[in-house]
Amino acid sequence: MRFRWFSFLSVTCLAIALVPSRAIAHGSSVQYRTTQAIAIRAAFDSGEPMAEAQVTVFAPDNPTEPWLQGQTTANGEFSFIPDPARAGAWDVQVRQAGHGAIVTIPEEAIAAFSSSDGDPSAIAATLSSSSPSLSPAQIALTAAAGVWGCIGTACFFARKES
Amino acid sequence: MHVPDGFLPLPVIVGGYATTGALTWLSLRQIDRLPNPQAAIPRASLLTAAFFVASWIHIPVPPASVHLVLNGLLGTILGYFAMPAILIGLFFQAIMFNHGGLSTLGVNAAMMGIPALLAYRIFQLRRLFPKAYERVGLGVAAFASGAFGLGLSAAIFVGLLVTTIPTSLDASTERAAILTLTIAHVPVMAIEGAFTAALVLFLQRVRPQLLEQS
Repeated sequence: MRFRWFSFLSVTCLAIALVPSRAIAHGSSVQYRTTQAIAIRAAFDSGEPMAEAQVTVFAPDNPTEPWLQGQTTANGEFSFIPDPARAGAWDVQVRQAGHGAIVTIPEEAIAAFSSSDGDPSAIAATLSSSSPSLSPAQIALTAAAGVWGCIGTACFFARKES
Repeated sequence: MHVPDGFLPLPVIVGGYATTGALTWLSLRQIDRLPNPQAAIPRASLLTAAFFVASWIHIPVPPASVHLVLNGLLGTILGYFAMPAILIGLFFQAIMFNHGGLSTLGVNAAMMGIPALLAYRIFQLRRLFPKAYERVGLGVAAFASGAFGLGLSAAIFVGLLVTTIPTSLDASTERAAILTLTIAHVPVMAIEGAFTAALVLFLQRVRPQLLEQS
């Protein structure tokens, strides 16, 4: 997960009554401000992004009721702006056809996020349906160790009875 | 086809552990009754290793990507040994690869173990073929049991998920995604069936005693 500057567009639709007694025209005003958001990227363990997966964000003060619902993009990306008034860890669940994962964004990450002198890039986590922090080489080594354990068991029981 | 942690309600998780516990106990009791229970352990260990790494073999079936499960193959060749083999394989997949989860270990083991035990029964239908067609019967029965094992697992997976979609999710989107994943498993059924048939025919040629339950 990366923190990055994120342009937030707030679209305010204002219904302005130009001629109060007769017709109502709709004007709109678009304002913008820059803020920081949490960007997630969800991928299957094959590396393929989880496109259009459903994302549910749970606020720290209510871990059972969804705070925000959304969908990842075609690249498996999703961004949201946490409410700074709610202190604690945020949970983000990504789900598609029963696959997916839950990631917890720790309170320190949010704190670094809101203070300007913090280094947000130092805090990183991966939301993936598998192998959160292992490189492909580590996974291959782990798998080889597991397979060797099974082969060793097989060799032990296959030994000739003396 | 592994259900991760946090996606299923508590009663389903408890039910999964209860089912897996009962099936494992039953399997171990059957294994204990064999004249030499240790004789089949090397074969079971090697197939546990195959099952453990099979989930890393991804098959791109557009638009989804599915992986091999091999539970039908384990049931076909191992019989009752398939249940502990699947349980051990899933446990290591969960702790080493984060594939599946520890809370859903019971659900996943039951989802793959029940079809594996039934696949073994289907494989026994090979005896119905006349002696002249022994090899044909062996291949057909192995294909059927291998494909059935995966197919039933996928059906249980879909049944569990469709009935437990949380109300907070958009149910129609999730159902469409589940349907896509289910259809993607049809070619995998054929692949696993063919793989099981090829392996069984090969074993019958080189080590026929491996196909007999000791």
